[in-house]
Amino acid sequence: MGVLTAIFAREARLAWAGGGGAAGPAAFFLAAITLAPLAIGPAADLLAAAGPGILAFAALLSVLQSAERLFGDDFADGTLDLYLLTPTSLAALCLAKVMGQASATLWPLPLIGVLGGLMYGLPPLAALVLGAALLAAIPALALIAGFAGALAAGIKRGGLLIALIATPMMVPVLIFAAGAGRSAFAGDERAVANLLLTLAISLGTVALAPFGIAAAVRGRLG
Amino acid sequence: MLSYFANPQRFDRLARIAIPVFGVLTLILLGAGIYMAFFASPPDYQQGETVRIMYVHVPAAYMASALYAALAGASFVYFVWRHAIADAAAAVIAPIGAVFTALALATGSIWGKPMWGTWWEWDARMTSVLVLFLVYLGYMALRSALEDAQQAARASAILAMAGVINLVIVKFSVEWWSSLHQPASVFRADGPTIHASQLWPLGLMALGYTMLAGWLVFYRLRTRAIARRADALLRQKEAGGRR
Repeated sequence: MGVLTAIFAREARLAWAGGGGAAGPAAFFLAAITLAPLAIGPAADLLAAAGPGILAFAALLSVLQSAERLFGDDFADGTLDLYLLTPTSLAALCLAKVMGQASATLWPLPLIGVLGGLMYGLPPLAALVLGAALLAAIPALALIAGFAGALAAGIKRGGLLIALIATPMMVPVLIFAAGAGRSAFAGDERAVANLLLTLAISLGTVALAPFGIAAAVRGRLG
Repeated sequence: MLSYFANPQRFDRLARIAIPVFGVLTLILLGAGIYMAFFASPPDYQQGETVRIMYVHVPAAYMASALYAALAGASFVYFVWRHAIADAAAAVIAPIGAVFTALALATGSIWGKPMWGTWWEWDARMTSVLVLFLVYLGYMALRSALEDAQQAARASAILAMAGVINLVIVKFSVEWWSSLHQPASVFRADGPTIHASQLWPLGLMALGYTMLAGWLVFYRLRTRAIARRADALLRQKEAGGRR
């Protein structure tokens, strides 16, 4: 257990020290949700209807920002080779690694999501539901980004490749997280169902993705 | 069976037979299918002449998913047994599948305009085919970005297998999503069952497309093997020249 907590803490510390911690994704998220109304127009009813979708989509994109660094640096300096030598299962190490980084960098997204929901004119309850949906979506988003990051580790200009690989996999999470906000705004009872489905996808990803990430790391190290 | 054809020379012998066989079958089946679809079948009583787009569109959509299944199957065989030819098959199937997917999307769009009055509808099936196209693109991008052949083979095999799980979940979630916000307007659930005069050309076209895909796959596999061999010979020659 010591190894896993150490890796979790290492990733969190690295994210704070080298990458500005939560500042990067949070700033990107804020910038994206600031620009969207400028493109769509200030009509209040349109913004409220599109709000949950824009917020969930912008959150998805901001998760992709840190995916390249997670495995890229450790691939280059040989840390991943050392992971292979530890007796602990590689899948568990990868889960701790992804979650360590996510815990340090992604926690503001639900908060900004609630704030953004209010700015887009959602009723407070709908904004809170959207925030909860984003919170439920974070494990799935982080792990999918981690999977793409592991596959593309060390590739020059890998960021674009990571986005191309990860976005089709993020489709279900996006549908249900944004759907929770949209249903809450429309006031129908499917908000809870969407929220639970988001959570279900996240839990399923937590169960499956670490093995995919571990296989990807093994494949890349040959 | 698998390990029997993992031998490059045996595979080459198989390919030499398979290429002309698939080629001739493609010409016969596609030729007959196109003749029946465009000349020898009646126009639909509801759709008129535009029904003929179906004969090009439906088999393309079927090939788009069938080739992804083949891609994932080949990737699985490579991942478990490390047969080089399974990896080569995955590599050559991907662009063919992507082209059939693009063809399905394009013909679907062309068919949609006269039938539903719109080029594009965010309906569940069209959206998931579009996602499938993105998955193909991601696979090809990863494959071409990795220079080391073995790393490229393993990483893309893992991606192709993960894509299967993903595509299944995408299919269900997209259906949920489109039922959430789209009224059932243009799609008649109880459309007329297909008549024999349409089933024949459709079946022939589907078989013809399958043979075409088989032809292309074997052709590209053999070309790839020959290119590899030529590369190795060139490198040998260069090394010899320097000495």
